[in-house]
Amino acid sequence: MNTLRAITKKELHCFVDALIADGTYDVVGVKAKGKRFVYGPLDHAEDLRLDHDVTILPPKKYFLPPLESMMQYDLKKPFEVQATFDNKQRIIIGMHPYDIIALQQTDVVYLDEQQDDFYKKRRDNTIIIGSDIDAVSERSFAGSMNTHVADTGFDVLISNIGTQYLLTIGSEKGKQLVETYAKTKEATAADLKKLQQKRNTLLEKYKQKVNITTKDWPGVLVANYQHAIWEEHADTCLECSSCTMVCPTCFCYDVRDQVSLNLKDGQRVRTWDGCLLRDFTRVGSGEVFREEVKERYRHRFYRKGNYLPARYGFVACVGCGRCGIACLPDIADPCNLINELASFGREEDTERFFIKQKTTVEETGIIHVPRSATVTRVEHFNDLDTFFEIQLDDGKPLGHKPGQFVEISLFGIGEAPFGVSSPPSDTPRFEIMVRTVGNVTSKLAQLKSGDKVGVRGPLGNGFDTTSFEGKNLIFTSGGTGMVPMRSLINFVLDPKHRKKFKNITILYGAKQPKEITFMKDVDHWKTVCDTQCEVTVDRCDEKECWNGCIGLVTTLFPKIRMDMYDSKNTIAIVIGPPIMYKFVIQCLKTMGIPDENIYVSLERRMKCGVGKCGHCQINGIYTCKEGPVFNYNQIKQLPEAFE
Amino acid sequence: MKQKPRVAVFDFADCEGCELQIANLEEEIIDLLEIVDVVSFREVMKEHSDQYDIALVEGSIMRPIDEKRLQGIRKNAKILVALGACATIGGVNKIRNQWMPDEVMKQVYGDAKVKGNELFNVGKAKALNEVVPVDYYIHGCPIDRDEFKQVITALALGKKPEIPRYPVCVECKKNENICQFELGNFCLGPITRAGCKAICPTHNMPCDGCRGLIKKAETECVKEVLERYHLTYEDIRRRCTMYNYGREECTYDK
Amino acid sequence: MTSKKDFSIHVEHLTRVEGHGNIILDVKNGAIQQVQWQVSEAPRFFEAMLRGQHYHELRPITSRICGICSIGHSLASLKATEDALGLQITPQTGMLRRLAINAENMQSHILHIGYLAAPDLFGVGSVFPLIGGKHTDAVLKIVWLHRLANEMSDLICGRTIHPIRLIVGGFSALPTPTQLTNLRKRLEEGQTVTQQVADIIHGVADRLPTFTRETEYIALSTGDEYAFYDGNITSTDTGVVSDPLRYPTITNEYVVPQSTAKYTKHHRDSYMVGALARFNNNSSQLHPKAKHLAQLFHLNAINYNPFMNTIAQLVEYMHNIEDSIHLIDALLDGSLKEEKPVKAKPKAGRGVGLVEVPRGLLIHDYTLNAQGYCTKANCVIPTNQNHANIQKDMEKLVPEILDQSPQDIELTLEMLVRAYDPCISCSTHYLTVTFI
Repeated sequence: MNTLRAITKKELHCFVDALIADGTYDVVGVKAKGKRFVYGPLDHAEDLRLDHDVTILPPKKYFLPPLESMMQYDLKKPFEVQATFDNKQRIIIGMHPYDIIALQQTDVVYLDEQQDDFYKKRRDNTIIIGSDIDAVSERSFAGSMNTHVADTGFDVLISNIGTQYLLTIGSEKGKQLVETYAKTKEATAADLKKLQQKRNTLLEKYKQKVNITTKDWPGVLVANYQHAIWEEHADTCLECSSCTMVCPTCFCYDVRDQVSLNLKDGQRVRTWDGCLLRDFTRVGSGEVFREEVKERYRHRFYRKGNYLPARYGFVACVGCGRCGIACLPDIADPCNLINELASFGREEDTERFFIKQKTTVEETGIIHVPRSATVTRVEHFNDLDTFFEIQLDDGKPLGHKPGQFVEISLFGIGEAPFGVSSPPSDTPRFEIMVRTVGNVTSKLAQLKSGDKVGVRGPLGNGFDTTSFEGKNLIFTSGGTGMVPMRSLINFVLDPKHRKKFKNITILYGAKQPKEITFMKDVDHWKTVCDTQCEVTVDRCDEKECWNGCIGLVTTLFPKIRMDMYDSKNTIAIVIGPPIMYKFVIQCLKTMGIPDENIYVSLERRMKCGVGKCGHCQINGIYTCKEGPVFNYNQIKQLPEAFE
Repeated sequence: MKQKPRVAVFDFADCEGCELQIANLEEEIIDLLEIVDVVSFREVMKEHSDQYDIALVEGSIMRPIDEKRLQGIRKNAKILVALGACATIGGVNKIRNQWMPDEVMKQVYGDAKVKGNELFNVGKAKALNEVVPVDYYIHGCPIDRDEFKQVITALALGKKPEIPRYPVCVECKKNENICQFELGNFCLGPITRAGCKAICPTHNMPCDGCRGLIKKAETECVKEVLERYHLTYEDIRRRCTMYNYGREECTYDK
Repeated sequence: MTSKKDFSIHVEHLTRVEGHGNIILDVKNGAIQQVQWQVSEAPRFFEAMLRGQHYHELRPITSRICGICSIGHSLASLKATEDALGLQITPQTGMLRRLAINAENMQSHILHIGYLAAPDLFGVGSVFPLIGGKHTDAVLKIVWLHRLANEMSDLICGRTIHPIRLIVGGFSALPTPTQLTNLRKRLEEGQTVTQQVADIIHGVADRLPTFTRETEYIALSTGDEYAFYDGNITSTDTGVVSDPLRYPTITNEYVVPQSTAKYTKHHRDSYMVGALARFNNNSSQLHPKAKHLAQLFHLNAINYNPFMNTIAQLVEYMHNIEDSIHLIDALLDGSLKEEKPVKAKPKAGRGVGLVEVPRGLLIHDYTLNAQGYCTKANCVIPTNQNHANIQKDMEKLVPEILDQSPQDIELTLEMLVRAYDPCISCSTHYLTVTFI
């Protein structure tokens, strides 16, 4: 497409003014704010500044606004929830090549197989008029990232070549826009030469340079995961996440429900979140998965320079230098950090912190909007745990595999992930168990049969039960780990399937007798032939009646009738609290079970469930997407998996 | 629908600006009255009842008679919410804690015969949680109307209000302000709890820390920033005097 | 009613006023044993808190003396600071500050008229029961006027309570011409709504007691305008005091045991400040629509009925709107400039800032050292100046209404205090001291 047109400065102003006057578009562009620049609505072409070095915030604010309404609902009729789309037609003028490239990167994330419809709508409705760089920001190192020029990703690109401007047409939309609104001339060979020259000399203007190519970033980061530099820098980190807020390639968000003061209507909003903030990984039970500042500080760089490159093939930094400007202690600049690290060595296995796994995507429709469902049965197991049977109102089966999870919504309160505890079924009914820990769970516990909830899912990867066929199975669960485990156990114990599997052992540990969930199932499993079921509790209060084992779940291992097991032909499935894995896996290893025969399901803060919001990340993987079920052999090299 | 929660509003030593922020909800007061029963609110109503579920308490505690009154409120209320900086952290009232109450008293009242008069029996200025347990906090000087609404709706829905535990910088960046440090000002935003939508920097003024500090002034990162901007510990101590005199804050509340 | 009755009234923590005050009345055998207005608010020692603060910090701290008149305190503080530093502000800053004080006066007055005083006129305990019934429309109009005032403060000051943009030498940020043009439109509309509210109040104005007591009225005045931001202290008894530093000869503060707020007196035992005092001194300078409103209520200077203070506030609300429209026109004509605040050099000196705030004359008086730190501060609050006048009014009023039921007496006394729209938190901000 790339055709080149020439335009005078005066005509360029007329072009912009014509776009503003037309009224079809919301015309935004780069404007001055004090000594800095920002994107904002343009009233006149003369407000437009194409000589800017860098804007305070990137144009991502127009595609992923800092606060964005995703859906609205009437609290009395929450099932008529409506997705709220921004239908504004917009033109953004002045985007520098690095911002254009950052946007293309965001496209890869947000327009993947689990497409974000809100983003898509904004993207479709926006025309990008980019601008070649005239002034280089002091902190920018775009020259080193090859993001100082862009060949694609714009509809029109403006280049100042001194005497006049050139317009590079990058799309059909751009072509029509220029034809309709601008008075241009054919660009001459001399014009083209000037443009080339301008771009060539641009590189020299960069004072900040990265000493290695982007290809080498992942290897340098892999080699230095345990380096002292993380702690040294983190000591001066304010944990303000300014670095992620101003970043054009950061896209993590938090989701909240906001309710009007009369409690009649509400909306679900999302807002920028930052992985430097402590609460970023906090789950309902209060557990924080990256507790130390060092871990959070490191995570940001790995995400940019290792995790996303492994997943998508590009370094998620475009060298704009905004984080360097924004960071008060000046520790956020990737250019400085990578240069420092590069001197400490590099490794070849760059994808060590990532696992390649195909994601099961079954859901259609708008990925963030829940389906309506009705609570059909409630059973209070104890003062903490409540069991629910839920029926999807559309009458379709949930279609889940054991190990998959659902996001349950209570409009006005929020959304939380729950492992499905019932086996796959042809009916629209499924079961979950809720332990009361936070706002959503406390409110859920008050629901009665007939009440409505929202359901998204099934989400994530479940167990591939066909690969378990012909094998012995050892199920080890602790605490609420029994919830998804029950789905799997009841599936394999189903008379229809039982024959496919060999010996089965179920080990289950709870904190105290009253916290044993699914007691009826447990009692039943104990009676099933060919199945060993052992239960233990950590402690038992004097008042409680318990005549079983007391001790951690690992104390049950000696009870396994080892003679019946060929360890190589045995699959072990472990689900429990973070602390449990290390010890149970040690027991399994002692039994001689190979790592690749061990499966785990991990808990993290799964918020969006579709690999976007970033909260559930374990190094390079998304628990909601590649997990929550993992093969231990694949995940064991991830430092954040078991801590 | 269940019975509406009964709400009472009380004030101690303060400017009553936070109560005024409730009046400043304008037409939405009508919505507020739809979801709660206001049973006591001395500033705007004559009626009063001691039967309430939620007490919104404004102001700092200065005297033994005030402590007694607050303890009574605590006894009656199922949920006690501290409203505004004077109540949540002591606010500007704590500036005077730099001196002994006797000293301030003597300076102020001179030779006037106030001894034994309980109206004049003044101790150190205290935040509410130095006298009674507080369930929730609505921070700010004054409170932010939207945050007030958010807390009230959360309580009416029976959910725990979520108040930011991150610094003002997060909101300031979202507002695309030029950093106050870049402008040569000394801003407490990096160590102050967000939730105010970074209103001061947005109007081109540095943050004074009215929502309380979430990091100690002595931490390594603060020292680093002070050094970088040629500020001293004395400077930050002085900056923190306005709202955070004598307060030792943890990095994050759990 | 027998005249030989025994009763006592003890209104603890009077409602629908800002701050904590009590009314005590003891009658034995028909004879008044005690009638007293008490101020029980906890003392807050603001002047002591200003000691050692840098001049930039005086404004934000003193703003916190009072939530309702934080703009007024801010402006008095800035005027005192700038006076001490010898700083001249630009005419544009002067105009914007006048808009700020108009906005606050409107906000505070309509809050008092609509939310605090009106319930007595409609015979209810608060504004809440008025919503939903036949008075809904009246309440919504009052809310509309309240919102208008707050939006105006938000625009000029960044926030209505504890303004942000008001700083030494000018403003930290300015409204845009478009924003001012939009505000002007709303103010135009506001004139109509104010008139409608006035008509509603007029319908129940006969419930205002007809009590009168001759007293002294003190307010700022200037030849140029109905004074709020600038002017000299003026008394209906003794005329003009042109040197601001001589304010202590007017205020003469003293301590009484029943009050944590200090009292004042000048030419008589007591004097009054506030809307009625301003009206009594300066009514000829009101804008036309405001004058017209005064006529509607037969409010003429000098009016000695303290209950008419509420009506004077309504008149001023209209005046503030008219005045703001003129100011906006002048600002837009002179093409609003991006002015940076005037820079100050610290120097030793003393400055006094006089401003008319909603409840009357407010005085801030600072002494700064050569480094720009405050060594001495004094603030005289309008409500302090009214406490003695409230007491004297009660002493005259009670015998006149002693034949009424205790309930009616109590209500009338409450209405009397409310009419002054006292701001008790302010008045106990407390008081001064010489710092070393």
